[in-house]
Amino acid sequence: MARIGMTTTVPVEIILAAGHIPVDLNNIFINDKEATRLVEVAEDAGYPRNICGWIKGLYSVVVDRGDIDMVLAVTQGDCSNTHALMETLELVGIETIPFAYPFDRDYDILKLQMDKLITALGTDWDSVMAVKKRLDQVRGKVAELDRLTWQENTVGGFHNHLYQVSCSDFNGDVDAFEQDVNQFIMQAQSATEYTEDLRLGFIGVPPIVNDLYDHFEKMGARVVFNEVQRQFAMPYHVDDLVEQYRRYTYPYGVFRRIEDIKEEIEKRNLDGIVHYVQSFCFRQIEDMIFREKLDIPVLTIEGDKPGKLDARTKLRMDSFLEMLR
Amino acid sequence: MFYGIDLGSRSVKLVIMDHNSVQRSDIFETVQFYRQYGQSTPEGLVVDFKAVGMGANRDVVATGYGRNTINIVGATVIAELKAHTVGAIWQTGLSNFTVLDLGGQDSKVIKVRNGKMVDFATNDKCAASTGRYLENMATVLGISLEELSSYRENPVELSATCAIFGESELIGRIVEGYSVPELAAGVNYTIFKRIKPMLTALKSETVIFTGGVALGPAIAQIIESELGLQVIVPKYPQLNGAIGCAVHGREKRG
Repeated sequence: MARIGMTTTVPVEIILAAGHIPVDLNNIFINDKEATRLVEVAEDAGYPRNICGWIKGLYSVVVDRGDIDMVLAVTQGDCSNTHALMETLELVGIETIPFAYPFDRDYDILKLQMDKLITALGTDWDSVMAVKKRLDQVRGKVAELDRLTWQENTVGGFHNHLYQVSCSDFNGDVDAFEQDVNQFIMQAQSATEYTEDLRLGFIGVPPIVNDLYDHFEKMGARVVFNEVQRQFAMPYHVDDLVEQYRRYTYPYGVFRRIEDIKEEIEKRNLDGIVHYVQSFCFRQIEDMIFREKLDIPVLTIEGDKPGKLDARTKLRMDSFLEMLR
Repeated sequence: MFYGIDLGSRSVKLVIMDHNSVQRSDIFETVQFYRQYGQSTPEGLVVDFKAVGMGANRDVVATGYGRNTINIVGATVIAELKAHTVGAIWQTGLSNFTVLDLGGQDSKVIKVRNGKMVDFATNDKCAASTGRYLENMATVLGISLEELSSYRENPVELSATCAIFGESELIGRIVEGYSVPELAAGVNYTIFKRIKPMLTALKSETVIFTGGVALGPAIAQIIESELGLQVIVPKYPQLNGAIGCAVHGREKRG
């Protein structure tokens, strides 16, 4: 039973079917009490300052924390910095397996990638599909938690983010995670309703700062839609596993993401969108597409290092809410 | 009387207004202001408004670096972009325009329609399009800020993606033998290049140009000629945020 680090969401069913423990390196990094120091560890090793903080954190989680046996790296569909991440990990003797989402969502190529991963980890489709059935039960519960957020208004933006983002690796222990979700939902069902006057959607990669949701709630607004996090939780209800990872919008082009976002803006009755971009990320370029295509006020905020929101970003968030009112 | 205070990164601006006009104004250097009139307490910043000649705290409306970052005990605090919007409307009497505010370490662009802010942009984590950048460049050129802000003909090419490296780039150009007017014009053009994408994205026919940087003529002229827009520098460009605060207080009190 190996601990397999993942650089982003991959068909986690395959890792579990092979009897290994999936570990989303992003979650380990951002929940580390010394996340800032982890960024510095990578910079000390030679990672440039003007490179995304996440990629540096991922590197250091593997190299500095030392309990990852192998890294499954998404080489297409996430971040091209991952190529150099794999290479620098190889340089220090860490085994890596590449996984690529085809840009055009080609079914056969995606299936081939999954076949190869199944072979590499030594499992088979039957075991993988059995795991999928089990995970779908848990995903269904997380989808309910999401519904409680926007429809019953009893879940805050942070917990909506946290539980959905955790579906990339189910915190390495599906049963324990499910129990945690059960307990949270039970509390949420009897929680007091939020009564904020502004409903926001959060789009883009998960934030590297840790007080974004709290700050909005302090200012009388609430995030009731976490776009990419919801994608990590895969609320699609399809039987075909390849199709499930084709519906997953994040690794493909931006336009399918926009369709998904538009549907949720309507459904969840949103007042504004917050587009989070990571400093030095190629997705900063896509901001202009969102602004062009989304017919709703958009605030773009940028994060660099882990920690708290800076004063300038808070000023911009406050002004955005003021503008929506 | 209505009291407005804008706690900026480089200077603190105070205005005292009656129903129709600015009666008094003061500009303090930020650090000096805090040292002389401010006192940090567990409840927030206590400012000795009496000592600076203003009324009781409850009549003061303040803005500055983030509504949560500044907390002046007893005063009403409003968001900075709102203060600038209100100030620009009061100063010009217009209701459809784009505010361009270039201050000490910030640049802000606010699109206003029918008297309401509908979109905005601010500079990224860099001071290369702000007053601080111009001050540094004026020092390198050995001229005053006023003189620097008067040149716009034959600009030298400067890339200036960074306020600090901008200095060494400028020194390189000095060594190449360019004249001070050409170098100064180049500096003013770098400001224009930094704000052009924001002004284009949040375009209006009329730009209301505020902040300390608006005191010189060159940048306003460059915007007019390059983008074909009307640029209005109101009577009190530096006090725009503080005026917005005072006007907000007046509107609230009725």
